[in-house]
Amino acid sequence: MKLFFSIRNNRIFVGFIAALFLINLLNIIFNTPMILDQHWAQKIFYVHVPSAWVGFLSYFIVMIAGFMLFIKNDDTWDDIGLAAAEIGTFFMGLVLITGPIWAKPIWGTFWIWEPRLTTTLILFLFYLGYFMFRSFGGNIERIRRQAAALGILAFINVPIIFVSVQFWEPEIQSHPQVEMASQPEGILYPFIFSLISFTLLYVLMLRYRSHILRYKNSQ
Amino acid sequence: MLLNLIKKELLIEFRSKQIILSMLIFGLAIILIFALSSNISSEILSNYSAGMFWLMNLFIVVIGVHRSFAYEKEFDAFSLMVSAPVDRGLIFLSKWVSGFIFITTTQLIIITPFFKLLLLDIPENLSFFILTSLLVNLAMMSIASIVSGIVIRSNFSEILLPLLMFPLLSPLMIAATKISNNIINSQSYELWNVWVLIIVSIVVLFGLAGYALFDFIVEE
Repeated sequence: MKLFFSIRNNRIFVGFIAALFLINLLNIIFNTPMILDQHWAQKIFYVHVPSAWVGFLSYFIVMIAGFMLFIKNDDTWDDIGLAAAEIGTFFMGLVLITGPIWAKPIWGTFWIWEPRLTTTLILFLFYLGYFMFRSFGGNIERIRRQAAALGILAFINVPIIFVSVQFWEPEIQSHPQVEMASQPEGILYPFIFSLISFTLLYVLMLRYRSHILRYKNSQ
Repeated sequence: MLLNLIKKELLIEFRSKQIILSMLIFGLAIILIFALSSNISSEILSNYSAGMFWLMNLFIVVIGVHRSFAYEKEFDAFSLMVSAPVDRGLIFLSKWVSGFIFITTTQLIIITPFFKLLLLDIPENLSFFILTSLLVNLAMMSIASIVSGIVIRSNFSEILLPLLMFPLLSPLMIAATKISNNIINSQSYELWNVWVLIIVSIVVLFGLAGYALFDFIVEE
């Protein structure tokens, strides 16, 4: 099995993503308008929202990989599921760091039990348990199937968590994602650019990590 | 076959009484700690009583469910059971139903000490309180039974069970606390019926998921 970076297309893809992120960063700093009352805090939108999108997408892929493992009984799907779980948790961690950074100047406090943040926190904690489950050992084949089941259970719980927290704290309506819709025009295109950059970065990370896991398992 | 499996669970418990007894004693210990750590007026305490009630139930469910599956670990009984020509989804259903019976029995015994030892008034609409608690128990045991089935044969299952179960149970805990709080404060059903719908959806989703996935989860 070839190393990931020994493949020419992968090297080109990495260079492309690096360039995209450099442009994205400069775009966010210099080309996006300052919002009244929010100033620099608002710039976190361009990192926070795409991170949340990638995190949830990643957990969705964990669920799909779980289903595919049960249907195809092919260990490749477990590698993809594990890679997606790791990357998803990394991005969810990023959401949990950037959310409070935005919240402090806007809400006056680092944390509010807002539905999206709460759903993120619950999933983040669940996936820490998921990694412990995988690392504590046991029959590897069984662990793979059980981890796939956990990934499915976690994602079918997402809408329930979201709706519950929304009814639990109905008065909280302000959030980067919610506020995004009411922002001036100059913000939308850089935001979409950032969203695409993060999604492509995610594709690269997922391919890289699942390649490594496949490589490890083939040794 | 399902009835036989449930009968087996109940018979083991009837003979040993380990699950209900341990849940009961643990529940009483929690009530004692609650009473000693919340030296405040009963009015303030009553605002927290629903949350405390479900927190206590959450802890005793961990004990009960872990014990229920730990039986199967002895002499590797679980491997023998899953290798029997039985639909494995039925094994999940039997664990779910028997767990529901155990937690409900424990709750029915412990509900009076809970309110009396914490110097709280028993809810006026006690029958409604118990009925909604049955629904919550059903949802709680559906999640607990799947997670237990997953972790029971792994190392450190006693640590992994709450780690994986608590985040999954968090929306249920919100719903259960809201419902009980509304009943304790004699609020009308229209104000909290959405929570009942949330719990019903948990029962349906996790019940179906458990039945469908259990075959893969326990496969040797």
